[in-house]
Amino acid sequence: MSVALQAEAIDVAAEYSALVGHAPGAAVATFTGYVRGESEGRAVASLELEHYPEMALRVLEELGQQAEARFQLSRWRIVHRFGQLGLAETIVWVGAVADHRGEAISACEFMMDTLKTDAPFWKREQGPDGGDWVGSREIDSRRRARWRLEG
Amino acid sequence: MSVTIKLFSSLREALGVSEIEFDLGELDGAPLEADVAAIKAALSKRGADWQEALNQPNLVHALNHKVVYLEATVSEGDELAFFPPMTGG
Repeated sequence: MSVALQAEAIDVAAEYSALVGHAPGAAVATFTGYVRGESEGRAVASLELEHYPEMALRVLEELGQQAEARFQLSRWRIVHRFGQLGLAETIVWVGAVADHRGEAISACEFMMDTLKTDAPFWKREQGPDGGDWVGSREIDSRRRARWRLEG
Repeated sequence: MSVTIKLFSSLREALGVSEIEFDLGELDGAPLEADVAAIKAALSKRGADWQEALNQPNLVHALNHKVVYLEATVSEGDELAFFPPMTGG
């Protein structure tokens, strides 16, 4: 039931253990996002993630609370990194605990689809040809919109 | 008292500044509050780079850490941020 914004790599195993605790719910789902090696055909060597700390915290806390209410979660956690990230490093991790798999999986998808367009982070990819800010993608807006239509 | 203006990502980079104070007294009639559109228009007059940066399509405005429309009312002491679409996750 919490949010972490951090510069250091995400310890996925530790996050999972903390989420599940000593009394796991019937269904636990998590998602981990990593820095990819290419973007729209261009090689990516590293990623810089700029963020608006106070707003990011507020948006992600509200998002977790929305997911909790919408999918009847017993526990949830959102971890997002900022700063300099190397290839194949973790960027984001979300976890949800519910009574059934449908709610747990949907909650993770809802949190990811929403944070991509609503949480104030901006990616700048560094490749062999220099750096460039990542533009917003139509697919992300469409995925975000699905949750508005359904609920 | 004034309004704190924050700029992020490509806007911060293009304007070479991440934060400035904006005095509402700069606006016509020196009002105690103004909408986002009026502040954006005043800042756009600071130069061609400001004009271009603040009038790009899909510009997002957040007032006190919440995304708002151009009609939102800004008062002294508020924090108003301008940035391009978010690309986290």
